[in-house]
Amino acid sequence: MIQVKGLSKYFKNVKAVDNINFTVSEGEIVGLLGENGAGKTTTLRMIATMLKPTSGTALINGYDLLKEPHKVRSSIGILFGGEAGLYDRLTARENIKYFADLNNMGEKESRENIDRLIKMLDMEEYADRRVGKFSRGMKQKVAIARSIVHNPKVMLFDEPTLGLDVTSSKIVQDFILSCKNENKAIIFSSHSMQEVEKLCDRIVIIHKGKIIEDMKVSDFKAKYGQDLEKIFVELVGDK
Amino acid sequence: MNMKAIMTVFKKELIDLLRDKKTVIVSIVIPLIIFPIMFGLMGRSVEGNIKKTSENLKISIKSKNENQLIAFLKSQKNITVVDSIDIKKDVQDGKIYLGLIIPDNIEESIKNEKSADIKIIYDDTSQNSNMACNIIKSLIEEYSKEVVKTRLISKGIDYSILTPINIKEEVAAKEKGGFGKYMMSLLLPLILIIYGMTGPMAAATDLGAGEKERGTLEPLLTTQAGRMSLLFGKLLSITVMGLIGTISSIIGLMIGVKAGASAFGGDIPLIFSPITVIMIGIFVLLIIMVFGALELSISIYARSFKEAQTYLSPLTIIGMAGAYGTYMIDAKNASTVLFNVPLANVSLVIKEFIIGIYNPLHIGITFGWNIVYIVLAVLFARYMFSKEEVIFRV
Ligand SMILES: Nc1ncnc2c1ncn2[C@@H]1O[C@H](COP(=O)(O)OP(=O)(O)O)[C@@H](O)[C@H]1O
Ligand SMILES: [Mg+2]
Repeated sequence: MIQVKGLSKYFKNVKAVDNINFTVSEGEIVGLLGENGAGKTTTLRMIATMLKPTSGTALINGYDLLKEPHKVRSSIGILFGGEAGLYDRLTARENIKYFADLNNMGEKESRENIDRLIKMLDMEEYADRRVGKFSRGMKQKVAIARSIVHNPKVMLFDEPTLGLDVTSSKIVQDFILSCKNENKAIIFSSHSMQEVEKLCDRIVIIHKGKIIEDMKVSDFKAKYGQDLEKIFVELVGDK
Repeated sequence: MNMKAIMTVFKKELIDLLRDKKTVIVSIVIPLIIFPIMFGLMGRSVEGNIKKTSENLKISIKSKNENQLIAFLKSQKNITVVDSIDIKKDVQDGKIYLGLIIPDNIEESIKNEKSADIKIIYDDTSQNSNMACNIIKSLIEEYSKEVVKTRLISKGIDYSILTPINIKEEVAAKEKGGFGKYMMSLLLPLILIIYGMTGPMAAATDLGAGEKERGTLEPLLTTQAGRMSLLFGKLLSITVMGLIGTISSIIGLMIGVKAGASAFGGDIPLIFSPITVIMIGIFVLLIIMVFGALELSISIYARSFKEAQTYLSPLTIIGMAGAYGTYMIDAKNASTVLFNVPLANVSLVIKEFIIGIYNPLHIGITFGWNIVYIVLAVLFARYMFSKEEVIFRV
């Protein structure tokens, strides 16, 4: 469960995020939709305790990110877009194990989890090879396993399919859906209405740091009609 | 900050760095082989030359008739007398090392107890010719002493009348190998300080800017290991890498010196006492920690690998200045004030250790200051790691 309460972040005089409020329930995928520079990454970085809010706060899994950042970090898993962000000279297993260790997992638990994830993601064949020469899809799987190895209750995805080919995108999208099945609270940021519409239960549109729309995908369609991409462009276009 | 997380980071970083061929080559292999190669070549060429020249002295003698001096010279095993039409030219061309012009009436002069003039033609710009000149001079000296001896004996005088004073040389340094130690006290601090500074650099670049460039920093920051655990784990691994690099350069130096010992007069102290090595090691470690922390701070500020390398190069120059600044200072009478100067103090203390001085005041001042520098450098790194503007610099 995520409750964002009056969260703001100013960089000098840029109001990157400006007093936003929204909630994400367990088992719900919320799409954080916005153009480039709208404030998606900044929002997710604050929720993940990487950036300190200028004002406001958020409760993650019941923990206040200002008061208990450590507990917050134990509850979240992140998968950010762009480079998969792996250590090329470590094997797939070592990459995952590093994050399990940093998240304070016991040896037995981490080994079981890693074995399970390797099997689940079909990585047995290359789990013990160094990731440097992996294909993009293979790397993506390692990054996925790493993000969830410590069983977080909350998952944050920041444009996770950015720059991925169709196959790799599919892997990521399937993973997000499997997180939903495990009843996690999920934020999925994107600049593509199409992707959000396909995956998410609810759409939060962010524009220049402010939330300009927050409703269920079905309500959205009822209110604006079927061509959501066009609506999105209109909504962010004038303002 | 928790110990388990620090150790996790430390172990991972060390494995990661040691698997990187480039890092291993730059920080371990090169320091290990550069001195053996350098000194080996230097030593071999010098040694080779000395041998070549002294074992086969090619000279030419100009004299109308045979005489006893020529016979004496020819009887020397290492002298080859060759014919020469133009001695001067042949010396210049290096065909012969030197030429001797012996007057025709030399036998007569000697018999009549007069003195005779011998001319040596040599090339003072040639090492070989110089060496040959010295050898020939001492041979002629020897010969003339024999002549004097015969003269004195024929007059019934004791030969020792000519040598009222005998000189016996004794070196006044506490231990043997004084010259070698002196050479070491010039070279070693310089090398160690430069390695202490540059040793952690590759690792620091990789662990700060490299982490940003790979996109691994953000996931790392969302783990339960706090930023300070990450920082200290990284600092520890950088320090260990720097230490490995320094040790390999010392080993390299020892091997190198052995290989090229003759280049230094053949009496380099190959093995210092364990105490000396430990003391030197401690101070090099301090330098590594100061620079490791500084380099990591700079590296985390940089947006990319390239940027980090650009920012780090001025640091090397500052370090070099400190090391070279004390290069020529004689450790035996270094002023205590100098031990308050960063880098210079470590350089001087190492110099003292090498020649066997353990001055508690100097050691204390230097150690104290370096602890201060480490604390400052680590605080700086901490500050940099906690600043959003640094970690998420755009
Ligand atoms: N570290 C930073 N320092 C200064 N400005 C930043 C920083 N990060 C983001 N911004 C600014 O904040 C705004 C929102 O950026 P961001 O959250 O990255 O948007 P999005 O992820 O939606 O593309 C942009 O105007 C961006 O330039
Ligand atoms: Mg973004």
